[in-house]
Amino acid sequence: MSDKTAVLAKETPETAAVKTAAAGPGSYLVEVCLKSDFTDAEGQSAQWLLNSAGLSARAVRVGRLYEMRGALNLGHVHVAVRELLCDCVTQEFRVWHASCAAPGNGCLWRVEVWLKPTVTDTVGESVRDALRDLGIPDIAVRCGLAYHIAGRCSRQQLDRAVARSLANPIVHRVSLHEAS
Amino acid sequence: MTATRTAAPAPRTETVVLGGLRPAELQALSARHGWSLSAGELCAIQSHFRGLKREPSLAELETLAQTWSEHCKHKTFTSPIRFSDGRKTRLIKSLIEETIFKATKQLKKPWCLSVFKDNAGFVSFGSKWSLAFKVETHNHPCAIEPYGGAETGVGGVIRDVMGAGLGAKPVLNTDVFCFAAPDYAGPLPEGALHPRRILNSVVSGVRDYGNRMGIPTAAGGLWFDDAYRLNPLVFCGTVGLAPAWAVRKEVKPGDLIVAAGGRTGRDGLHGATFSSAALEGAQLSAVQIGHAINEKKMLDALLVARDKRLYRGLTDCGAGGFSSAIGELAADCGARVRLEAALLKASDLAPWEIWLSESQERMVFAVPPKNLKAFKEVFAAESCETAVLGEFTSSGRLQVAHAGTPVVDLDMRFLHHGLPRAERTAVWSPAKSAPAKSPAHKKSLAQILTECLGHLNVCSREWVIRQYDHEVQGGTVIKPLQGIRHDGPGDACVIWPHAATGDAADFQGFAVSHGINPNHGKLDPYRMALACVDEALRNLLCVGADVSRAALLDNFCWGSPEDPVQLGALVRAAEGCRDAALGFGTPFISGKDSLYNQTKDVGGKDLAIPGTLLISALAPVPDVRKALTMDIKGPGNALYLAGLTAEELGGSLFHEVCGRCASCTVPSADPAAALSLFKLLQAALGKGLVLSAHDLSEGGLGVAAAEMCFTGEFGACLDLDELPRRAPIYSDEILLFSESPSRLLLEVAPDREAAFLKTMRGAPVKRVGTTMANPVLKVTGLDGRVALEAQLCDLKCAWQGALPRRLGA
Repeated sequence: MSDKTAVLAKETPETAAVKTAAAGPGSYLVEVCLKSDFTDAEGQSAQWLLNSAGLSARAVRVGRLYEMRGALNLGHVHVAVRELLCDCVTQEFRVWHASCAAPGNGCLWRVEVWLKPTVTDTVGESVRDALRDLGIPDIAVRCGLAYHIAGRCSRQQLDRAVARSLANPIVHRVSLHEAS
Repeated sequence: MTATRTAAPAPRTETVVLGGLRPAELQALSARHGWSLSAGELCAIQSHFRGLKREPSLAELETLAQTWSEHCKHKTFTSPIRFSDGRKTRLIKSLIEETIFKATKQLKKPWCLSVFKDNAGFVSFGSKWSLAFKVETHNHPCAIEPYGGAETGVGGVIRDVMGAGLGAKPVLNTDVFCFAAPDYAGPLPEGALHPRRILNSVVSGVRDYGNRMGIPTAAGGLWFDDAYRLNPLVFCGTVGLAPAWAVRKEVKPGDLIVAAGGRTGRDGLHGATFSSAALEGAQLSAVQIGHAINEKKMLDALLVARDKRLYRGLTDCGAGGFSSAIGELAADCGARVRLEAALLKASDLAPWEIWLSESQERMVFAVPPKNLKAFKEVFAAESCETAVLGEFTSSGRLQVAHAGTPVVDLDMRFLHHGLPRAERTAVWSPAKSAPAKSPAHKKSLAQILTECLGHLNVCSREWVIRQYDHEVQGGTVIKPLQGIRHDGPGDACVIWPHAATGDAADFQGFAVSHGINPNHGKLDPYRMALACVDEALRNLLCVGADVSRAALLDNFCWGSPEDPVQLGALVRAAEGCRDAALGFGTPFISGKDSLYNQTKDVGGKDLAIPGTLLISALAPVPDVRKALTMDIKGPGNALYLAGLTAEELGGSLFHEVCGRCASCTVPSADPAAALSLFKLLQAALGKGLVLSAHDLSEGGLGVAAAEMCFTGEFGACLDLDELPRRAPIYSDEILLFSESPSRLLLEVAPDREAAFLKTMRGAPVKRVGTTMANPVLKVTGLDGRVALEAQLCDLKCAWQGALPRRLGA
């Protein structure tokens, strides 16, 4: 996906503007993942873990999620992505407002794994500090992982397999989204 | 999340009413707060505050609970034990004093620079340097959150070495794990993580933290037993290099208490008390998350500040956070702390939470006021935050306040010496050996050898090792994987740390190895301890280290010491350590224990781990250019077996593979005899008379020979009739798979044999075979016929394929 299509992906500028206005400024989500023509070793490892937990996933691709909250605008997010979070040679990114649902990518399931708010997010802290160095004001950053899973299974099966392999309920919160 | 300096919460001192409470009520109070204090200990606290005519604050009780925890005070090892071995009963006043410490004191080695005093033990290394070594466990956190638990385990032991003396630069990480089989198919209680997941996550945690810190992880081990399914063991170790002048710290009244590194949050509260209790119902807030980059920044700043001599003392914030770090540094003087000065992650922390938080990557320094400006500048240059929390005093009191309101005011003597010592009972009765039976199995020697090589406790650990960076810092001379294809097993790693010192002309290095075998301990913990020390030293010897300068670390992981039988086994193991140390002349310089490793299994019964002793050994290698690997170097060389073989198969791999069909005698090391053999071997190795050496451990001669052959890709012929033995043995399989200790298999070039035999005169050493180009392991039995002939590629496949297959990788 090129930079042009990355911002507020799959939304027209008008709808994005409406949603942004409704949610208030400064709450963005960024997902960075390998371009589809690169082998996703992390995804393969996740697929192995899920399948050894009883699932029959055909393929898994992994994206890194960054939730940014604070006094920032879309321009700041672009600087953050281009300068820090994404290697545009091998990776692509999507940005959407926190009030919007995450855009789909054609997979049947999307699983998001975040550290619980009470658990220290050390990667988030490092990203925050690095953004400060880039001149982006003090904002809160939380990091998570998005798993795009191809394969048929019920929500219950997926939920159980994720809790056994990709997430630990002690420290993580998980959300499952089925493609509509 | 916005980081803030605290100011918001209104200062308050919560008190806890102990007056009038009966022991049962005190016990209930302890359980409610998660203090892991006994009724007797709370009675002592109750009586202390009755004398002061006031009630303790919550923060004071939390401080006492942390300081008096098993984790910090090692109550089992320092309290009296009434020990009965069935014939007589005796009182052990302090197990640690009478065993581990006693051996070190008696040996009085001048090169032991600091032992049992600091975060790590120090030995001298050349004339200008010293090495700090520490191994500790992070078992309980790894059972509930293995990735975070392993990361903070590694981070914690690195900080221990950074905080030892005036700070050492970490140059090597080691890791040893004990897990259930990764394909364990039995039931697990609700909430317990599967052993495969624990293995995956722990390896990832160790990998991510060590690799990000830029420290090579080059030594370690794995042990599998299904009794670890609810209580995995994760031993993390670090070796650090420090100038010889930097092994001692001091704190003077008037020095400032400066906290550096990460900010304080609500992470890991109750870590020390949590790790001192069995896992059921434990508080899950004890989970901590590591931040390797913060620790790296602190390390870089610390080394600069050390070399500029800007501080007098330091220690890391481990279990108990500021409370134990400041409490320990100020133990001989006193401290006044202002908690409002601490840098916080969130503004809503209660004062006791700031005081007790176990947020990672924090250290406390004693900084003379005149150095404060320079100290802060050094840390600021690495983007590492610092805060002055107060000052050390001569009051003999630990005084903590928050915004002017007293939070803690404790007498240091009561804090560090007020713990009542409860007497425990220990019972030991030797396991009744099952009578030896004639072999009931129908497996051929080749089948047994293949199964031994594919056993989880022997097979290749490449899947784990390849995840670690063992080359970073550029000083890994003998690597964890060896041989022509860099995939064979190593006995020990050899590190040349002078890339860090810049002294490229100094070829002295050091080797690190481990010894562990809980199967021996199930039958005889005393012999297990002897065998573990013996194995660790043999491993060092194999790479060419100077074992006369070896220093040991002990790590005991046990079930509940309140069970007299388990405590009895612990006492026997500790006595074994003492006798091994004295016999081999190798002192212990540091150690750790982790008790209460037991949890209720599916049926509601307590499942305790097998009593596990890890011996870690460190010794200098005089010239790393002469260090040896274990792979056979060429055809036509002689194979010599050093050490006597006996009918010792108790707790052996052979029994696991074939059932208990032969002698159940647990291998028994004779330290005096082993020491004289090791000295001669060391001389032979030093003269360059040996091409390769490998120790005989699990699987005996069969496994050792196979490993040497397939790692070097040369075959070998062995004649079992030639084995030097202690008493007549009439069975090929006993000769091939006996696990008698103190034995090594050596490869000697034909033109060096005479010199080798001359050096080894008087020692139990005999030529048992020859190497050959044909890639086959051939063994001639006692009857003169070929008892085993196996292709090396088949043996290697069995050895390499087992772990990935069992992992499903």
